[in-house]
Amino acid sequence: MAGKKNRNYLSGREIRAIAKANKKEIKRLEAYKNRVAPEEEFLSEMKDPGNILEIENLHTYFYTEQGVVKAVGGVSYNVPKHSVVGVVGESGCGKSVTSMSVMRLIAGPTGQIVEGSIRFQSNDYVLDEYGDPVRDEEGNLVVEEKVYDIAKMPINEIYRVRGKEIAMIFQEPMTSLNPIFTIGQQLDEVTLIHVPGATKEQAKEKSCEMLRLVGIIPENVYGAYPHELSGGMRQRVMIAMALAAEPRLIIADEPTTALDVTIQAQILELLQDIKNKIDGSILLITHDLGVIAEMADYVVVMYAGKVIEKGTVREIFQDPRHPYTIGLQKSKPTMELDDGTELYNIPGNVPNPVNMPSHCYFKERCNRCIHKCSGDYPGMVQVSPTHYVACHLYGEEADHG
Amino acid sequence: MADSKVMTPAAETVEYDDAALQAAYQKARKKQIKKDLAQPFDPDCVLEVRHLRKCFPLKKTMFGRVTKELVAVDDVSFKLKAGETLGIVGESGCGKTTAGRAILKLHEPIAGQIIFDGKDITHLKPKQMREFRKQMQIIFQDPYSSLPPRDTVGGLLSEPVKVHKIVPNDQVKDYVLQLMDKCGLRDYYFERYPHEFSGGQRQRICIARALSVNPKLVICDEPVSALDVSIQAQIINLLKELQREMNLAYVFISHDLSVVKFISDKIGVMYLGGMMEFGTKEDIFKNPLHPYTKALFSAVPNPDPDNKMQRIALGGDIPSPANPPKGCRFHTRCPYAKEICKHVVPEYQEHEPGHFAACHLLNEK
Repeated sequence: MAGKKNRNYLSGREIRAIAKANKKEIKRLEAYKNRVAPEEEFLSEMKDPGNILEIENLHTYFYTEQGVVKAVGGVSYNVPKHSVVGVVGESGCGKSVTSMSVMRLIAGPTGQIVEGSIRFQSNDYVLDEYGDPVRDEEGNLVVEEKVYDIAKMPINEIYRVRGKEIAMIFQEPMTSLNPIFTIGQQLDEVTLIHVPGATKEQAKEKSCEMLRLVGIIPENVYGAYPHELSGGMRQRVMIAMALAAEPRLIIADEPTTALDVTIQAQILELLQDIKNKIDGSILLITHDLGVIAEMADYVVVMYAGKVIEKGTVREIFQDPRHPYTIGLQKSKPTMELDDGTELYNIPGNVPNPVNMPSHCYFKERCNRCIHKCSGDYPGMVQVSPTHYVACHLYGEEADHG
Repeated sequence: MADSKVMTPAAETVEYDDAALQAAYQKARKKQIKKDLAQPFDPDCVLEVRHLRKCFPLKKTMFGRVTKELVAVDDVSFKLKAGETLGIVGESGCGKTTAGRAILKLHEPIAGQIIFDGKDITHLKPKQMREFRKQMQIIFQDPYSSLPPRDTVGGLLSEPVKVHKIVPNDQVKDYVLQLMDKCGLRDYYFERYPHEFSGGQRQRICIARALSVNPKLVICDEPVSALDVSIQAQIINLLKELQREMNLAYVFISHDLSVVKFISDKIGVMYLGGMMEFGTKEDIFKNPLHPYTKALFSAVPNPDPDNKMQRIALGGDIPSPANPPKGCRFHTRCPYAKEICKHVVPEYQEHEPGHFAACHLLNEK
């Protein structure tokens, strides 16, 4: 660190050079995002039909004045059908940016998806030659299964998926609800937008049904404004809103971080319950290992924009392999821990996201470094059929140890 | 009494006269408080808090008379010795932060006594408080908003040293560098600005600033809530190490039970402004008496996928502190609530030596 003392600030010339390079790159990516493309261009195939979402080699960068921040640098993971996948990591590790990329909510022009594919198995209404939805004899809308590559979709086609097939529950329930509309208006909007030809009465009926599903009596809340509700109630409304369009995948981005423990317990129980009722999948993003252990079937551990370990919840919690995962679990004080001992801690900080080293990002903080760690970034090593780890300790050559 | 129409067992069909009970309770409480406040100060304790009460006015008449008030902290008492840590846990809005600030007299307390180092500081004026200020310090929750952005780290840390004349002016820099070393900050950070640091480093700066005046008591108001798990562990270890070295007394306010368990010697559980249970760590964690404490512990997610906890489900939300329920504060959410809980305020009693709780159910046994 001492050598970097003089490298704290960029000179004006350097900043101008960065800005020029950024401008060119952003222009290209924005044009790609806003293009008009036929459907064939973003249709894709799932590698494994048992998955609902496949993220492969996703790169999401932020073009800032200090340089390119590689918030997500080559992330790959899958969400199987009817399961809960928990993504865990510290702040700034790219777990939220990955989920925002899936929803295509990355704020442009600074933030851009640069590379990779996000394949999602979606239901879409069949359209006739005039662009109207086709109905069968009973008047129900006809749906067909399609696989979209969300990363390649033009931004004005994203409504086919966003909010309808993939719904999101945000961290801060107060700021995610609109303070000037009633809960009922905001809930109805979901149905009115996503179901073709829905009337206001149908929308209200659907909204009330959803409120009942999350344990709220609709008569009390339908006409209320968000500020009249408590934090836990608001989060329930957010969940109801996410469910209103009957999504196949719910992304819950730190759904309980802003809530108290007793309310958190209620919300987690509700999510667990809902998952069984709607027969969908949940992508749960949190930094709380306890929440992950209670909720998830599969766990993805991220560090500095990369996946460093993934596996089933038992593999990650009972047989963690990556030194970071092990350290993370040991540094969390638990209710069972006896006192007197010093809490284990991982020394140091996350490396600067602008100048990432070429070797393993965890090398400076790792206590089990081997000679190979100074080399290339480690690839994913399979340690069991479902358990992968990105660490040189478990490479083929290191197996004898 | 609409409730009495419902079929209830013969033992519970007692009619409660709310107004009379309220008056009797107030009278008894006033007598008790008067008796307690007259007691001599405990010479062993750094901090002694007796029946602390803090209210905020909600409505005033035209002439400034308060007609409605929010009782943020109601009747909180505890003792704290040098080198000990008191953990205060509770959900948001339970008054734990207000209690911490009232102890430092950042909020003027309404009633009760705060005895610091054998002196009653409750009614001191700001000017008289100045000599106590260097003995009691606070670390805030959010390290991003509690450091002034226009001053360097060196300037930030030197200022309290100069103002309180801790060391002669020519030794200030050496003193600050020594302090930075103690808190795990490198010496070349001296000339850097707060925005150049990560959250964990900033929290270290806040700790260094609090300790720069050699305090006896530090109030830690959620010092690790805004930090990541791996950084959180670093800060907790640093706090523990400094406590051993400087014999500090901490009041550690947090909503994270596992952190409080790790760092505290004594624990107070607060709910809606009142202390529900108080005792040593062993008492509270091994033998919790109050139903709220039990429910709070069972709600903490367990990081072991095979060992899912049996939850005691608490229905509903925390009532508004502006309009707290009658009788026991907790009866609206308590799974064991009885008729008496709705009408009579339970007494805060010592059930085991040093283990206090306020619950009617405990008196029955």
